[in-house]
Amino acid sequence: MQQPATTSLCQAATSTFESLALLFPELGSVEGAEFLPLAATVSVAFRGAGEGRVVVGVTAGILSALAENMLGAAAAPDVQVQRDALGELANVVTGNVLPLINGAKAVYRLDAPIDAGDAPFGARAGEVRQAFTRLQMDEGEALLAIFSLGETVAAPASSASALVGA
Amino acid sequence: MTLNVLIVDDSGVMRAMIRRTLSLCGIPLGEVYEAANGVEALEQLGEHWVDLALLDVNMPVMDGEELLTRIRASEEWRALAVIIVSTESSDTRLARLRAHGVEIVHKPFTPEQLRNTILEVTGLTHAAASNDISVPSGDFDF
Repeated sequence: MQQPATTSLCQAATSTFESLALLFPELGSVEGAEFLPLAATVSVAFRGAGEGRVVVGVTAGILSALAENMLGAAAAPDVQVQRDALGELANVVTGNVLPLINGAKAVYRLDAPIDAGDAPFGARAGEVRQAFTRLQMDEGEALLAIFSLGETVAAPASSASALVGA
Repeated sequence: MTLNVLIVDDSGVMRAMIRRTLSLCGIPLGEVYEAANGVEALEQLGEHWVDLALLDVNMPVMDGEELLTRIRASEEWRALAVIIVSTESSDTRLARLRAHGVEIVHKPFTPEQLRNTILEVTGLTHAAASNDISVPSGDFDF
């Protein structure tokens, strides 16, 4: 059974893939799973009521489908456009998942998406991985994670218990 | 009647998506201008007549909330029709924005949501806009 932060991440990501890019994910297993090679990963940092980052990585098939479905077939072959489309998707996922976890009163500021770098789904010093999920689509798969600085993404004590162990 | 539209978003992809949606959803478009932040938007407003502004909230240099405050303080632009197009979900911040008399379209949005909100804030009727969302053959909508 998934914990609340992961459930929130699945919900926000599924909705964003469907509405923004017309891609229709199903939840995939992460326990002991072998993942397909990722073509690109981006990270969106957030600060405010909590501090951390959301990381999204996708396989090549998803990357090109994102660009085509978001911007049209003519734009799809452009590698930079593909990465920008992934960045925008990650930005929208981040903006939608934080209120699902922390409630609608929390205010956040999001940084522009950046390349997630090496070992994108490993926690850095001082970070805790609060959620990790895998979404599978006809075009490939996506991995998503939320990292927080400290124990939880949330500042309000009332919602913090929901995140511990997620 | 055609609408001159200003799209303000720091994401070039989102500006392109909004521009594409506008072109597909039957809104009678005039000129479409773009800006990547509030400062650029004010420059565009100084140079062009705009009927409708679509503003993101989280942007560098000058965010959408400050831009909106400046627009409403301006003699020339205080009555400008404005739609916030953002992932912003904070009740506190949304209440502050709504106090400026704007409508809000939450990202991710459907073309129908954007179109209907544009009709609402501009006073255009469905008859003035074409009734169907137009998707070119072989192309996807989103």
